[in-house]
Amino acid sequence: MTAGIAMNGWVVRQVIRAAGEILLTAGLVGLLFLGYLVWGTGLRAASAQRALRSELNQEWRQVPGRGDAVGASPERFDVTTGQPFAFIRIPAFGKQWQYTLIQGTALAQLNVSPGHVPGTQWPGQLGNFAVAGHRVTAGNPFWSLPSMTDGDLVYIQTRLNDYTYRVIGKKWVAPTDTAVLDPVPGHPRQRPGRRLISLITCDPAWTGTHRVIVTGVLVAAKPR
Amino acid sequence: MYAWIWRQLPGRTPARAGALALLVLAVLAALWFWVFPWAALHLPIDASGFSG
Repeated sequence: MTAGIAMNGWVVRQVIRAAGEILLTAGLVGLLFLGYLVWGTGLRAASAQRALRSELNQEWRQVPGRGDAVGASPERFDVTTGQPFAFIRIPAFGKQWQYTLIQGTALAQLNVSPGHVPGTQWPGQLGNFAVAGHRVTAGNPFWSLPSMTDGDLVYIQTRLNDYTYRVIGKKWVAPTDTAVLDPVPGHPRQRPGRRLISLITCDPAWTGTHRVIVTGVLVAAKPR
Repeated sequence: MYAWIWRQLPGRTPARAGALALLVLAVLAALWFWVFPWAALHLPIDASGFSG
């Protein structure tokens, strides 16, 4: 009888100890995952950026392209998902801030680089060239997007041209409000008369509740 | 759990400690290089795109 009670006590202690160890381990793994999101994804994205940059530079050297900046035969972009096609520079984010733009905005692309929203226009084209990027993780490329102000410049360098956009507005929308991606944002049936860029990220950081959209208009386009 | 793992490891204390260190490193590496990247792809943390 006494031995039975002692045995039961031993089993209970073992179970409680095992549960405690598992919970502690889960907590540590959770902390480690946070560390991965904050630093690890940045390291991975940085090495992916180096590879994309040299890939794009090499491609531009090898294959000559044709087309004007905004003329009768506009520059053509023929890229598949995940492929690089341009460099983006935003001096308001810092002198060193430069990313390689790739095609696509699924997490697989955003975890590497800001991406071109499929179906929207391309750099320099009439309509809306939409680019989405992570606010946090993957090097926090669009961390400062919500603090951009009118007049800030966005430089897009493609194979053939240098495009300069000037920021003209900023707004917050719901993640379902895809009208901001229309050629004329908010007016799905209107024909575009302007050449816009839309930079998109999430706000508040770490959440998926809202999107902040910074809009710019093309102010210069010249062959490089 | 950890006491049980410790008992399964062969050899004397230094050998066990070494084996345990290797084991911990292997688990950490698997988490960092495989599990976490996979999780980051599937958890909608900072989903900056549009959900249509």
